Amino acid sequence: MAWIAERRRRSRFESVVLPHLDAAYALARWLTRNDADAADVVQEALLRAFRYFDTYREGDAKSWILRIVRRTCYSWLERNRPADVVPLEEEDGPDEGVASAPRAVGDTEALLQNRSDLWRLDVLIEALPAPLREVIVLRELQELGYREIAEISGVPIGTVMSRLHRARSALRRAWEEKDIGDAM
Amino acid sequence: MQCDEVGPRLDAYIDGELAEAERVQLRDHLLDCPDCGPEVTALERLRDGIRQAAPIYRAPEALRSRIRFALRQEAAASARAARPAPGWLAYAASILLAVIVGSGGTLLITGEQQEDAVANELIDSHLRSLLADHLTDVASSDKHTVKPWFAGRTELSPPGVDLAPEGFPLVGGRLDLIEGKPVPALVYRAGKHVINVFVLPARAGEYVETVTRRGYTLRHWNQGDFGYWAVSDASSDEFAKFEHAFRAAASG
Repeated sequence: MAWIAERRRRSRFESVVLPHLDAAYALARWLTRNDADAADVVQEALLRAFRYFDTYREGDAKSWILRIVRRTCYSWLERNRPADVVPLEEEDGPDEGVASAPRAVGDTEALLQNRSDLWRLDVLIEALPAPLREVIVLRELQELGYREIAEISGVPIGTVMSRLHRARSALRRAWEEKDIGDAM
Repeated sequence: MQCDEVGPRLDAYIDGELAEAERVQLRDHLLDCPDCGPEVTALERLRDGIRQAAPIYRAPEALRSRIRFALRQEAAASARAARPAPGWLAYAASILLAVIVGSGGTLLITGEQQEDAVANELIDSHLRSLLADHLTDVASSDKHTVKPWFAGRTELSPPGVDLAPEGFPLVGGRLDLIEGKPVPALVYRAGKHVINVFVLPARAGEYVETVTRRGYTLRHWNQGDFGYWAVSDASSDEFAKFEHAFRAAASG
């Protein structure tokens, strides 16, 4: 009976996905940088996920839902705030990855240094370009492994590593400068 | 291991992503090396700093409710699209699957599939009233205003009962569509919580007394010609007090 089947499907969906609602919201909140937008995006993402629930296979529900939330975030940002989704300059290929650390300093990071309000780490994270912010949030705040982050972000592990390195270097530089400034 | 080999691996090292053999090699190097050791300390300091400084975002309760509500509509829509199931059949199925537990004829509804269709609609209505900011059609704490407002709009004219002295002030009244019919709802406050009391004709043979689902409780009782269905997220003590006060006032 369609009625029972639909209800069972919804109930299963809720038990699989809703335990990760906080994580979904946190990711959307960091990417949209706004409470109301994050809520809209999460709702849109979850309804989308529900429609494609049949494609979900038993496994890592958190990665599955975060991947959908992330994708929904970016398409939402493209529609509403296209300036927020400029691609990273000098994105490293998966092979060069971590070995190219000194090269991975672009305009993005320079931006962080020239703003005087950027001394709090949370503000610094918010100021990172989205692909770097996302990797910091997934690694440091959601405490996910490289493989999960790669799966969620849809990039190779090498790219996850180089982005993480880049993001940390940028944060460290801006943050430590502030510390030195304080000490003087 | 040399310093130039260490550098690119430091992130993976502090993230616990290195294979064991590599990790041990790197750790040994760090113990001896005056350059790489402080690098790791700085990275760890940054990580701790991030975890301390970053706000922890949690999904607001309203979002959770909103999503559940939207999912239910979505599910209902696709069920209708698949094949409409007659209301009575669904209802019969829910009765069949329900499990009778305990004494006093209390019917404990377990699980999702067994829910009473009416209970669902009522809890939906309650949610809608909170989310759409449409709590009342007639906002008044005066029962002499609320009661006549319903007259002529519904087949049922519920008793206006103000429970302000008991701590549950009447906020107003509202008409909701339940099973396709306009149904009066009396709206009360219990502290910060809202209690919606839906008034339907009393039906014989209904044993559902309380259903708790997703933080919302539905209490049902028959009194005279009316079947009262109260929905709220107030605490169970508070809610029981409310029912008691309401019953007393409605019979008086």
